[in-house]
Amino acid sequence: MTITQPVSIYLHIPFCLKRCGYCDFTTFAGKDVFIPAYVEALCQEIKAVTGSINQKLAVHTIFFGGGTPSMLSLGQFGSILNILKVCFDLNWDVEISLEANPGTINLEYLKGLRELGFNRLSLGAQSTNEYELHLLGRIHTRQDIFSAFKAARIAGFSNLNVDLIYGLPGQKMNKWKKSLDEVVKLNPEHFSLYALSIEKGTPFGVLVKRGLMELPDPDRAADMYEWASEELDKTGYQQYEISNWAKNRYECIHNLQYWRNQSYLGFGAGAHGFANGMRISNVARINDYISRNGKTSDLVNDRPIGKFPMSPATVSKTSLSNHKSMQETLMLGLRLTGEGVSSRAFYERFGEDLMMVFGKDIVELEKMNLVEWSGDSLRLTKRGRLLGNQVFIRFVD
Amino acid sequence: MTSNIRNFCIIAHIDHGKSTLADRLLQVTGTISEREMTEQVLDSMDIEREKGVTIKASAVHMDYTARDGKTYALNLIDTPGHVDFGYEVSRALNACESAVLVVDATQGIEAQTLANLYSAIDANLEIIPVINKVDLVSAVPDEVAEDISSLLGVPASSVIRVSAKAGTNVEAVLEAIVEKTPPPSGDEKAALQALVFDSHYDSYKGVIAYIRVVEGAIGATDTLRMMSTHFDLKPVEIGIFSPGMKPVKRLIAGEVGYIATGFKTVHECRVGDTITQSVNPSAAPLPGYLHPKPMVFAGIYPAEPDDYPELRDSLEKLQLNDASLTFSPETSQALGFGFRAGFLGLFHMEIIQERLEREYDLNMVFTAPTVEYEVQLRDGTTVVIDSPAALPEENQIVEVREPWMEIQVITPTDYYGPIMELVTKRRGIYKSQEYPAPHRVQLNYEIPLSEIIVDFFDELKSRTRGYASLDYQFIEYRMDKLQKLDILVNGDAVDALAAIVHQKDAFHKGQRMITKLKEIIPRQMFDVAIQASSGGRIISKAIVKAVRKDVLAKCYGGDISRKKKLLEKQKKGKKRLKMVGNVEIPQEAFMAILSLEDD
Repeated sequence: MTITQPVSIYLHIPFCLKRCGYCDFTTFAGKDVFIPAYVEALCQEIKAVTGSINQKLAVHTIFFGGGTPSMLSLGQFGSILNILKVCFDLNWDVEISLEANPGTINLEYLKGLRELGFNRLSLGAQSTNEYELHLLGRIHTRQDIFSAFKAARIAGFSNLNVDLIYGLPGQKMNKWKKSLDEVVKLNPEHFSLYALSIEKGTPFGVLVKRGLMELPDPDRAADMYEWASEELDKTGYQQYEISNWAKNRYECIHNLQYWRNQSYLGFGAGAHGFANGMRISNVARINDYISRNGKTSDLVNDRPIGKFPMSPATVSKTSLSNHKSMQETLMLGLRLTGEGVSSRAFYERFGEDLMMVFGKDIVELEKMNLVEWSGDSLRLTKRGRLLGNQVFIRFVD
Repeated sequence: MTSNIRNFCIIAHIDHGKSTLADRLLQVTGTISEREMTEQVLDSMDIEREKGVTIKASAVHMDYTARDGKTYALNLIDTPGHVDFGYEVSRALNACESAVLVVDATQGIEAQTLANLYSAIDANLEIIPVINKVDLVSAVPDEVAEDISSLLGVPASSVIRVSAKAGTNVEAVLEAIVEKTPPPSGDEKAALQALVFDSHYDSYKGVIAYIRVVEGAIGATDTLRMMSTHFDLKPVEIGIFSPGMKPVKRLIAGEVGYIATGFKTVHECRVGDTITQSVNPSAAPLPGYLHPKPMVFAGIYPAEPDDYPELRDSLEKLQLNDASLTFSPETSQALGFGFRAGFLGLFHMEIIQERLEREYDLNMVFTAPTVEYEVQLRDGTTVVIDSPAALPEENQIVEVREPWMEIQVITPTDYYGPIMELVTKRRGIYKSQEYPAPHRVQLNYEIPLSEIIVDFFDELKSRTRGYASLDYQFIEYRMDKLQKLDILVNGDAVDALAAIVHQKDAFHKGQRMITKLKEIIPRQMFDVAIQASSGGRIISKAIVKAVRKDVLAKCYGGDISRKKKLLEKQKKGKKRLKMVGNVEIPQEAFMAILSLEDD
């Protein structure tokens, strides 16, 4: 096996000062004491995985997500990046992103990140309204957002993303407009706008179940989405994915890797990876993750790591048939609202004609005005962007 | 020798402990050992055990050495405990000489206590009253004994008090059975008359007829005849239940046992029929044979059209054992190919539904149950319909007649008012009242069957804190102002959602139906108009607005599989919806009319 395309690397940092009310990601509050051991385990995992392939892989994006990655020290990032430099071919113009909580960063820290090579920062602002920040359980204030943004510019970050959440319980349109407008004024290069979804087992999920919180109104969320699309379009941002907008050439290359159904390696507790025809995921608990990546070579021998890209922390593995890969290419690629799925690229990748494989569904979806052709690319219509699931379910079993 | 035979049954209101007492009798007589004892041996179907009721009667032979030193052959004939199976009960009673009447010490006399008691008295049975559950904290055995005493005209002290669960005083019941049950009369030299009081299908031996030999005798090699159908048969074997099937050479007048007939379906050997010899047949059958008639009808459709043959096979298999289940093919525009099935009552329907789901693992759509209507047309003909969609156009109809029932509700006197209100609301007519016991009133009404098949029993229970009990019998068909209630989805009437309602209820029911359907029908990719129409006009309408947002926002850290699982779940849910035209309707919509009162 030889991998010719550059891969992406995702590193998961499952630590938070406090959990937010809506969050159901793999992350833990109050476990900071494990951070040093965790960083060590990450380095071990990277070595183990790259040790199982006799090729130095070219990497074009590195993304630290969480959790709250900005809880790691500069020194800890330094050691991880050093290992990555040793194990991978980073001689490219690599996009190195960090998710940061506006309440955890200052100018000095941001400068340090720049020196380490970070060139993209994603600020988890979520809202500029104090009440909403409180409702969501965020640890930062509205002022923290502005300060962090300013500091990031001073530190030299020229590629900034801001995350915002809309469709909060009881949220009125004017509140949403204000949040977005205020951030637009900051002039970031990139926006991620997510509709709040209530997940089982989260504090919000419990409140809704007990009838103590109303479910966000989906129609109002649709209004908010449509308004935001127009607003961002007017102010020079282009939508390139269902939830993502960017100024020209500032699309997040790491995100694109997922939607284009290209390879990525996931390191860390609960991380997911996709390479060599399989999707894998890691053990979620921090302690288990650390012990599985224990230093002694015995442990590695005890737990043969198997085939690339599996690691000692891998707990699930799904090999994809050719048909499944084709389905996923559509399910993911159609999220890319601009480029969609090119039938030529599809043929080059699978040696099969897109319409021969999925023609029946595609024609039906066209009739429902959910997808359209743009040149040789199939993509969502404007209406389809809000009804994406009706399209995507055609490409799962 | 028939003087040592005692044929008896146990009768009781549901949940008063009939099956538990039967189990104890089997244990005490050593018919089955402690180890073999799974609770409620006589009820062999899972559903019976779960619902705590006996659906199919069963019979068992026990040997008991009484205090007088003699050994008696006791035949226990178990009777179904639910009101839907009244006819089967009456057949079982005719196979006995006595009935053990079990009354719950905490509940007292209830509707089926009386209904069963009256049937037993009609069948000339000796009554052996027993109070069960005397060990419960809430038991009031003295009070119940007094009630029974005034009901039967026997001294209260003669009523046997037991706890079947704990096994207390069960011997006294056996002694009373020996003492009070008359030995069977009947001449083994007379022409054969054997009553079929139950049957079941066995895949090796064909239909097994449960019989009581009333006159004459059966040899294992005799050629026999079913008197109503004139089918002749050579028994595969004959025998007794002890409690498993045990072959014997001969069964004589007074004995209870079985004939393995070799028949392929229970239709050829119906409960209530008389078996005789084909040589020297009896001049007349035993009295009382009836062909049980289904009263409640519903459409059964496979959720997946591909399952149609499987559904048909399963219904056929169920029918092997259940002669009262009827079905015939039916086609619905909305639901495709399915069957119209007839049941003895709502309870019977529930049992069939559960058995199809559980034993045959079928995913089905049941439409709302309905009754059979007689429709007299202008052209002078009369048609019988069992599906609302089949009701002819209004201008062709002279009148519509529906089945009426007489019902008996027994309740503590405190609940008189709420019951009266419920029955009146459902078009019931008060007839009379009786006081079978102090603080208990029996209310007699006449009411259309269509009004009691839809959550009447649950309403009755909730209005009386569970105290009221109900029994019912068919009287006749009566004319009323009945009309069709149509439900239109995007302009088209959906046959499977139609109902026949009384003129005065049409408006209210139409409105409630629309409110309900608006909740049930999920938002689609376009607006869906739903309307209720009756008597030529639109009564109510609503719009299910098109869905605007249906998209998963975030895929975190490349976790594709999770997103995929959610989509797969959504797709699976969508598959369970029924496509009616281009509108997706959930299965529960077809039962919506059943729960219109929920608010």
